[in-house]
Amino acid sequence: MREALEAVLGPASEPVLLAGGASKEAWAVDAGGERLLVRRAAGGVIHRHSLSLRDEFEVLTVAFEAGVKVPRPVVYIDELDGREAFVMERLEGETIGRRIVRMDVPARLPLQLAEELAKIHAIPRERLPFLTEARLERMVEELDEVGEPHPAIELGLWWLQENMPAPREQVVNHGDYRIGNVVVDEKGLVGILDWEFAHLDDPVRDLGFGLVRAWRFGVDDKRLGGIADIEPYLERYNELTGLDVRPEELDYWELAGNVVWAIGCLTQAQRHLRGQERSVELAILGRLGAEVEYEICHLLENAA
Amino acid sequence: MSERPTAQELTEAIAEFLGGEILPVLTDHRLRFRTLVAMNALGIVHRELDELPAEDDTERRALARRIRRGEVTPATLAQVKADVEIRLRIASPRYIERYER
Repeated sequence: MREALEAVLGPASEPVLLAGGASKEAWAVDAGGERLLVRRAAGGVIHRHSLSLRDEFEVLTVAFEAGVKVPRPVVYIDELDGREAFVMERLEGETIGRRIVRMDVPARLPLQLAEELAKIHAIPRERLPFLTEARLERMVEELDEVGEPHPAIELGLWWLQENMPAPREQVVNHGDYRIGNVVVDEKGLVGILDWEFAHLDDPVRDLGFGLVRAWRFGVDDKRLGGIADIEPYLERYNELTGLDVRPEELDYWELAGNVVWAIGCLTQAQRHLRGQERSVELAILGRLGAEVEYEICHLLENAA
Repeated sequence: MSERPTAQELTEAIAEFLGGEILPVLTDHRLRFRTLVAMNALGIVHRELDELPAEDDTERRALARRIRRGEVTPATLAQVKADVEIRLRIASPRYIERYER
């Protein structure tokens, strides 16, 4: 690995494989006086519709140029020791969700999350012509590929179909915008990571995804990712975008986010079961998805 | 069989983890020995599970199909939630307490 990296980056420190990162490897390495992070393919993908590392690098580059707080992209490598990879700046700060929700985060963090999202949603979609539009049918396809009966997910999908809000103009979505995919320090937001699920979608899809209970890391009473209430976040987003997103719309997309993650748990477990990547961590998600299904039922009760 | 991974598949995942990731880095003889014993014990669980009948998921499949066809009644949500609760009491029993606070 070091040799392969040095061929691209010049003299480099011994790469260290970092923990976490279910679908991609992350290696910390220093080269050219810079702290770098190498994102490299692992076995399989979470969703069929996740981006290739080449496209993800392009999204990161466009986001960086648009002034979004992201690690500076360095170079794409189509074959690094047998797999696709790219190199970017290694940001300093906390990324682990369960630690962030227990940190004394500044009050501006939820506002910063709204501000960055407004910037992302302002990226002209023509800059990223390979991004595809998300549709409910895609979620159904992914569930069918798993092939297990999950009545709660079915009911969630049915409700989303029946209660679809008036469509908004589709914008560039990060696709996984939540605590756990951002770097935070004591001063606030440092950067936004993990762009592999970028796609075109309703802007409120991104805005509501961070409300999913699984991303509150146990601090359930703070609806925005276990760090804050939603009102200041929503107000700031509306102020910057000129949109008038109502709380009910957030409720809809919070449920949609839960359905996405419930299916994500099953597809992660499939990577283990199908032998793409054998891992007890992936395996257990197949069972822990029941937590997300319980939350779907809870949200449906509230909606009734 | 609809609960995946099945209990047996979970024991396989744990055995692979212990044998593939833990055992190779253990240098303490006592810990190595105990890990091997634990893997043997897992093997017993795995074989014992072989003797059990497979889970009957006919009802769950029928319920999922009805919802997919749009056959949703005011009683459907309660049925679905009861089914999730049964699975959750095995997979993550303390999770439900988070809703009772």
